[in-house]
Amino acid sequence: MENETILVCKNIVKRFGPVNALNGVDFEVRRGEIRGLIGENGSGKSTLTSIMAGMQKATSGTMEYKGKPWNPSTMEQAQEQGVCMILQESNTVRGCTVAENIFAGQISKFSKFGVVNMKKMTEEAQKLLDSFGVGRIRAADLIDRYTFEDRKMIEIVRSVSADTEILVVDETTTALSFDARELFYKLMKRLAEQNKAVIFISHDMNEILEQCTHLTVLRDGDIIGHLTGEEMRQPGAPEKIRYMMVGREIGDAYYRSDYDTSHEEEVALEFQDVSVGEIKHFNLKLHKGEIVGFGGLSGCGMRLIGRAGFGLEKLTSGSVLRNGKKIKDPLTAIRSGIGYVSKDRDTEALILSASIADNITFPSLDALSKFTFIDPRKEKKLVKREVDRYLIKCNTPRQLVSTLSGGNKQKVSFAKWTAKGSSVIIMDCPTRGVDIGVKQAMYAFIAQMKKEGKAILLISEELSELIGMADKIIILKDFAVSGEFMRSPDLQETDIIGSMI
Amino acid sequence: MEEIKKESKFKKILSAVTTYIRGHVSDVASYAGLVLCLIVFTITSNGRLWSTYNVSVLLESVCVYMIVSLGALFVYAMGYMDISVGAQMGVYCLLMIFIINATGSLLLGFFVMLVLTLLCGAFNGAVAVWLKLPSIVTSLFLMFLFGGIQYLMVESTGSSIVSTDYDFSIFLEPWVIILSIVVVAGVVFYLFNYTKLGKYTRGIGANELTTAQCGVNTTKWKVIAYMAFGVCVAIGSLFLLARTGSAGKGTASSYAMDVMLALILGGMPLSGGMKAKVRCALVGSFTYSLLSNGLILSGVDTTLVYFIKAIIFMIVVILSCRDRSGLLPR
Repeated sequence: MENETILVCKNIVKRFGPVNALNGVDFEVRRGEIRGLIGENGSGKSTLTSIMAGMQKATSGTMEYKGKPWNPSTMEQAQEQGVCMILQESNTVRGCTVAENIFAGQISKFSKFGVVNMKKMTEEAQKLLDSFGVGRIRAADLIDRYTFEDRKMIEIVRSVSADTEILVVDETTTALSFDARELFYKLMKRLAEQNKAVIFISHDMNEILEQCTHLTVLRDGDIIGHLTGEEMRQPGAPEKIRYMMVGREIGDAYYRSDYDTSHEEEVALEFQDVSVGEIKHFNLKLHKGEIVGFGGLSGCGMRLIGRAGFGLEKLTSGSVLRNGKKIKDPLTAIRSGIGYVSKDRDTEALILSASIADNITFPSLDALSKFTFIDPRKEKKLVKREVDRYLIKCNTPRQLVSTLSGGNKQKVSFAKWTAKGSSVIIMDCPTRGVDIGVKQAMYAFIAQMKKEGKAILLISEELSELIGMADKIIILKDFAVSGEFMRSPDLQETDIIGSMI
Repeated sequence: MEEIKKESKFKKILSAVTTYIRGHVSDVASYAGLVLCLIVFTITSNGRLWSTYNVSVLLESVCVYMIVSLGALFVYAMGYMDISVGAQMGVYCLLMIFIINATGSLLLGFFVMLVLTLLCGAFNGAVAVWLKLPSIVTSLFLMFLFGGIQYLMVESTGSSIVSTDYDFSIFLEPWVIILSIVVVAGVVFYLFNYTKLGKYTRGIGANELTTAQCGVNTTKWKVIAYMAFGVCVAIGSLFLLARTGSAGKGTASSYAMDVMLALILGGMPLSGGMKAKVRCALVGSFTYSLLSNGLILSGVDTTLVYFIKAIIFMIVVILSCRDRSGLLPR
């Protein structure tokens, strides 16, 4: 039986300058379904849903909601009419109470002659919080008191009301704890049972398969296909979906296939009683041929560890040692063979206005320089080697890095350090903003580096990446180590999440 | 059929040329400006531009601009600037005259000046970093300091102008001038393209954070860049003094801005970075000297010269700003 359609999108096109984010997408939302949306970064999932929720306008195309033309000009307007979206990034106002946040934009409901009845508003807010099962959050408190995920729950309470017909969830669950996720799934189910609709965007295949009743796959601004609940439960569905996302066979060799956690005895990089920022007395021995992964919620301090390892932070105690020598600054770090792939690719890792060649050779100039002379032929040879190694897509190495795609930029960022011959590489979110195809290549390079005896410190926000690549995973929470996990085929994300929050 | 082929080939070349021009607006504009100046002034001066006398005058003035702006290249490539150069050069000329008149040794005078330029370079580079000031502030301080010194030095002699009878004629020989330019340009070209100094200064201009994360001690290289500038300032001051043999209160004061204008005319983005090239100094200083010289030769009233320079400057800035690299300093 086909359910009643509630929202119809016809031939939606969205252009950002010369880039086509959506090329004429037809999409339908039906009552009673939890429709998953899946696709690589930049496939257009968020663009499509944000157009439905009034965050931005489509370049062309029409929408129909409950049988009438749908053209919301703001998110508030869409929300009033029943289309709510919960965003990836936190969207609460600091310095205000929970109640004020919940009723932001609707304050006039509680005001008479310009005076707001705060008491009534707080009571109403508390009622709402209780009805969502998060009564432990008090409406009168300042929102700053609550953690990131509590704030996320407050946002959900704010967005979802009795009038909500369609709820759009854009990668919200990655930020939530296990308990909060469960609560959230229940809410989605409840909405579906009430004959409303949920659109659920996630990168987590398992989550999508478990929670959704229908699935739509997007790629490069086109809808590639729809799967029904039945098709999703069939064996081999994940492979099929992944194939639809990427457009080619990804194969089994996505992450590392081996579970060999052995490494050499020699210590490549040592953190000795390191205190940096709010991290106190941190110790770690990174060995040759070992991949140590760092995970945690953003803001847990894992980035500081990477920066300290490369001499970018001032230590308040202890030292970072390589071959018995202290790492004081990037210069000593690079000279002793450490490389650092920064998370802020465009502002820290690369000079966008410089050529591929200039970027790749930059850390090696010190070593290439003989009696002040830097031989351009040697530079060229080095650049060619790296461009070939990573298969960087470019017309010429003299092309500016700013003209490259995200994946190729990241390859240049890697190439800098392999060109230098670094034997310890600190990577901060190395696959951020990189799509699956390049991701797979990056994982192969990282696995290859391990085989070559390089020591790797892998900082990542993606648990699946850590589980897939690291020999040892260290989880940080509030600037302290909260868990350690060894590589194993049985290790699941759910095992780790507990120590993150 | 043939014709269509020909036409499409022609179109291809045309589109290649237009894309090249679009990508190199400032390069093309700088050369076009030079050629335009040459043509226009050749006509308006009735060919006097090319008279033996004028060529030698032009050469003497180009020489100073060119040597100083070649040095300035390292500083401007970082996106920094130095507006104290003019006042510095004035003091150096006076100092050299004093030393030559007292000891008769040009070498000693030049040596003292070199030490001073290096010290000023180190000051400009290091203090700006230590105090986290924009470089223009430290050079502003030096500008006033040297301006004051220049004033006091001239006052102390009791006359308004100080001169020396030392025979500088060797520095006015065309072959000496040309050789000096070639040597300085050659050294700067080498340093700028084939050594860490050039690559790091451009890197600092393009993205200082990335450059530092590539293991570059940015403080150290900033100081070195300013010192390299200092060496060129010393050589430039020597040629300036050779031309006049005297110095007063206002001598050389306009050089700081002249050098900046020359570099901009040569297509240098004031924000520095990868688009900084030796060509900017060579072409720019030549165009700039030609402009001053040609306008006067063409009989333009000297009072109008500044207005015309202003208009030309505006045109160049507007043209270069259309180029997305941006011309504004940080």
